[in-house]
Amino acid sequence: MKKIEAIVKPFKLDDIKEALNEIGIQGMTISEVKGYGRQKGHKEIYRGAEYVVDFIPKIKIELVVDTAIADQVVEKIRDAANTGKIGDGKIFIFSVEEAIRVRTGEKGIDAI
Amino acid sequence: MDHPFNHISDTLKQRREQLISALSEMQPIDFMHRHAGILDDYFRESFEHSLVGPKLALYKNPYAMIALGGYGREEQCVHSDVDILFLFQNEVPKAAEALIQEIIYPLWDLGLEVGYATRTLKECIRLARKNPIVLTPILDARFICGMSILFSNLLDTLRQKVLKKQSRKIITWLVDQSRERHLRFGDSTYLLEPNLKEGQGGLRDYHTMLWIGRIKLNIRHPRDLEYFGYMSHEEYQSIRKGLSFIWNVRNRLHLTSKRKSDQLYFENQIQLAKSMHFKKRSGQQAVETFLGKLHANMDFMKQQFLMFLSEHGYVKTYSKKNRYRLSVHVEGLTVNRDMLDFVSSEYVLNSPALLVRVFEESTRLKIPLSMEAKRIVSEFRHLIDNEVRTDKQVLKGLETILKEPVFTIDVLGEMLDSGCLVSLIPEMKGIVNRIQYDEYHVYPVDKHSLRTVQTVRAFGTDQDNSGCPICGNVWKELKNRKCLLWAALLHDIGKGAPEKNHAKTGAKITRKIMAGFGYSEYDIEMASFLVEQHLLLMKTATRRDIHDEETAIMCARIIKKVSRLQMLFLLTVADAVSTGQNAWSEWTMALLRDLFLKVMNILKKGELASRHAVQTIEKKQDTILASAATPDERSRLAATFNIMSPRYVLTMPVINILEDIALYQNMNDREFVWHISKNEAANTRIVRICAKDKPGLFSKIAGMLTLNNLDILDAQIFTWRNNIALDIFTLKPPLDKVFENERWTIAERNLTSALSGDLDLASQLEKKMKVASAIKPRASKRPHKVNVDNKSSSFFTIIEIFTYDFPGLLFAITDALYQAGLDIWVAKISTNIDQVVDVFYVRDVDGQKVDAENQVLFIKEVIYQRLPKII
Repeated sequence: MKKIEAIVKPFKLDDIKEALNEIGIQGMTISEVKGYGRQKGHKEIYRGAEYVVDFIPKIKIELVVDTAIADQVVEKIRDAANTGKIGDGKIFIFSVEEAIRVRTGEKGIDAI
Repeated sequence: MDHPFNHISDTLKQRREQLISALSEMQPIDFMHRHAGILDDYFRESFEHSLVGPKLALYKNPYAMIALGGYGREEQCVHSDVDILFLFQNEVPKAAEALIQEIIYPLWDLGLEVGYATRTLKECIRLARKNPIVLTPILDARFICGMSILFSNLLDTLRQKVLKKQSRKIITWLVDQSRERHLRFGDSTYLLEPNLKEGQGGLRDYHTMLWIGRIKLNIRHPRDLEYFGYMSHEEYQSIRKGLSFIWNVRNRLHLTSKRKSDQLYFENQIQLAKSMHFKKRSGQQAVETFLGKLHANMDFMKQQFLMFLSEHGYVKTYSKKNRYRLSVHVEGLTVNRDMLDFVSSEYVLNSPALLVRVFEESTRLKIPLSMEAKRIVSEFRHLIDNEVRTDKQVLKGLETILKEPVFTIDVLGEMLDSGCLVSLIPEMKGIVNRIQYDEYHVYPVDKHSLRTVQTVRAFGTDQDNSGCPICGNVWKELKNRKCLLWAALLHDIGKGAPEKNHAKTGAKITRKIMAGFGYSEYDIEMASFLVEQHLLLMKTATRRDIHDEETAIMCARIIKKVSRLQMLFLLTVADAVSTGQNAWSEWTMALLRDLFLKVMNILKKGELASRHAVQTIEKKQDTILASAATPDERSRLAATFNIMSPRYVLTMPVINILEDIALYQNMNDREFVWHISKNEAANTRIVRICAKDKPGLFSKIAGMLTLNNLDILDAQIFTWRNNIALDIFTLKPPLDKVFENERWTIAERNLTSALSGDLDLASQLEKKMKVASAIKPRASKRPHKVNVDNKSSSFFTIIEIFTYDFPGLLFAITDALYQAGLDIWVAKISTNIDQVVDVFYVRDVDGQKVDAENQVLFIKEVIYQRLPKII
């Protein structure tokens, strides 16, 4: 099993969900996250007052899938998230040792 | 031998199962009575047949079994607790334990939740005096079996020794408890998943009224509340109806969750709606109708409860220190104990406008209506007719109510609860208690609308809970606030209609309502625009790339005016804040505020979104699309038109746009394509290059041109939204006109290898410049000037360079920008004899403006370095 974590631009969420639905993936965890880093925040001026946006709003998508389809999932996310511009985001892939469904105690692929 | 109790508990089990299986055919109150009755029978039977009982010597130490709490009130739901007290006259005998084993254990075996206590009369009184939690179930005590005199003793002693002496203290405790409970369960989670017992307007509110009645007047039956004048006959009937509904839900909830449970979780809601035969109607799901009805009932109960408390003086009275100021301005109204009253109901009959103006006075004086005044409003609200609606005084009053920031009392809420608001604006009927079934909309639509009004007028005050300080500043600048407040009240009014697009429908209804009140076309247009577009900013901020200039331009074109943007922004924030915690966060705020500021900037500058700009662009689009020979071509043209940058379309004549489209469609996989045209009259060459954009593209083209001795007179570059760059150069023709075509072929080859990295332009140019030694220091009075402007655009840092022309200048500057890590998005280069003005719109490699002070200094520094020294 692989855990796939993607940090992407907020407006790409629907496209990514749709792309994943196409290959039969519906379950995922989505969080609104704040990005601080290379793509620094910036200032806006309104009537002489400065408003600093010190973080960049991003969406984090997490899902655990069978290793066999991990590459396909990553590719789908990449295709959907790609605008060809800076700040399109990143995808991380982790190996998952075990998954357990709390209610039934099922393990492995059955639990995801 | 079978213990007789096996038989008794078997009977109980059977009878309960039978009763529960008939639940859906019975009135909830009958079910609960019969359920309590079955339990009573069990206790009586077991008292009769007890093997322990005879050893307890009833005549020496009398005892009784007494039902407490809900069981005492005979309000026994499917899985309610069974609370029972074994009361002894003198002492609790040792054998009591055996009695419990005999009587209670079988009940536990049946899976009933039984709470029992064995106490003497004395103990009971002592505990009740010490702890109101022990006291309240005893208030509901009901004799089941044993020595009945003991029960009477209990009630009498309780009254003499506890209730009479401490009634004020106990009631205060009850009121405090209720307040705490309302606060805790008023939280949004409980609005989505209501708690039938502890929630606002839940059963506990009814219990508390009953307990207060018992303490003060020793009432036995709930109906006594009406007979003692605690509530009107109609109110009592409505309460019973409401209770019946809540009990019905509770019973079914117990049944489906197979245990005692008071909180109506999401997972139960759909199923319960179905089992209670709610149907889908006029675009509302069954579960939404169900929750709407539950909400209406609980809301009514809450109102009655609060009214009950305040009529008995248990609600904090308002500060009296300003009393001298309280004089009523409207005839027919009066102030009584810091509350507003009608002088008499006759006044209302003669002048129904008072029904609205009483709320205006309430807003002005910041005091609530008395209970009696509320009753009058509610009972006479049918008098509000068209004459009242078109009364200018009424409208003025309504505006005051909308505009005045009063936070101590909820005047609009009172207007809604009394039915006055709906009588005044009948179109609101459709959204009253309308529930939206999701985890997002916490409040019914009517309550949400009122909260939105409240949020708007809180901007910039200490009640502002948007967490967004800019809102207060924007609010202060607004001139026409009433339109925003009307839009806040009506923004979701379309949700009451079956049509899908509630914003659009709402705009139509708003237009009608505003026209009915006699507003000017300007105000009507403003309010209905706000209602129609109230989702625009939020949708755009969360679903579009707000770092794309086109996104802001699109919004600016729809919004058109700064004042409309300001109001739309405030409405959007207020709408989100008033929806629930899932709709508003620092994260959402960052996106929305960013978009607002960017659109504001575009609207203020005007060049890209002015009416003239919009018209120009539309006209060009029409001409271009009209040039298509086939529908296929037309849609290809339309698609290409959509990816062009607005600046490009605005500046470029149609004929050139068509040339560029042709060029673009010929690109295929190539890095770039170009087209060279000769202007013999002006003796210039125009080169149009269409290329895949990449950092340094512009400087490489400029370098290539210099390398080939092609002097740049003028240049414009644009970046389309799909990362295609359009670079247009006006050049002096090559010196050697005979071999001009060969020159172009070499130049094209140079650019190809420069782009692929095979040709190092910088070193080639350096060699060339050494030979020519062209960069000579200049004698001039005016120095070079480099301006870095971060204010004019939200998307780009604009660099302006004023200098003197020399061969290779453009390459030098653009190369410096490239080396400094900047990406050029737009450029305008113009040469006037030897004066040069270059303007570049740049962003850094991360797509951000470069606005840090040290960055700005650095940019200036690297550009100055490449310019010739001034002597």
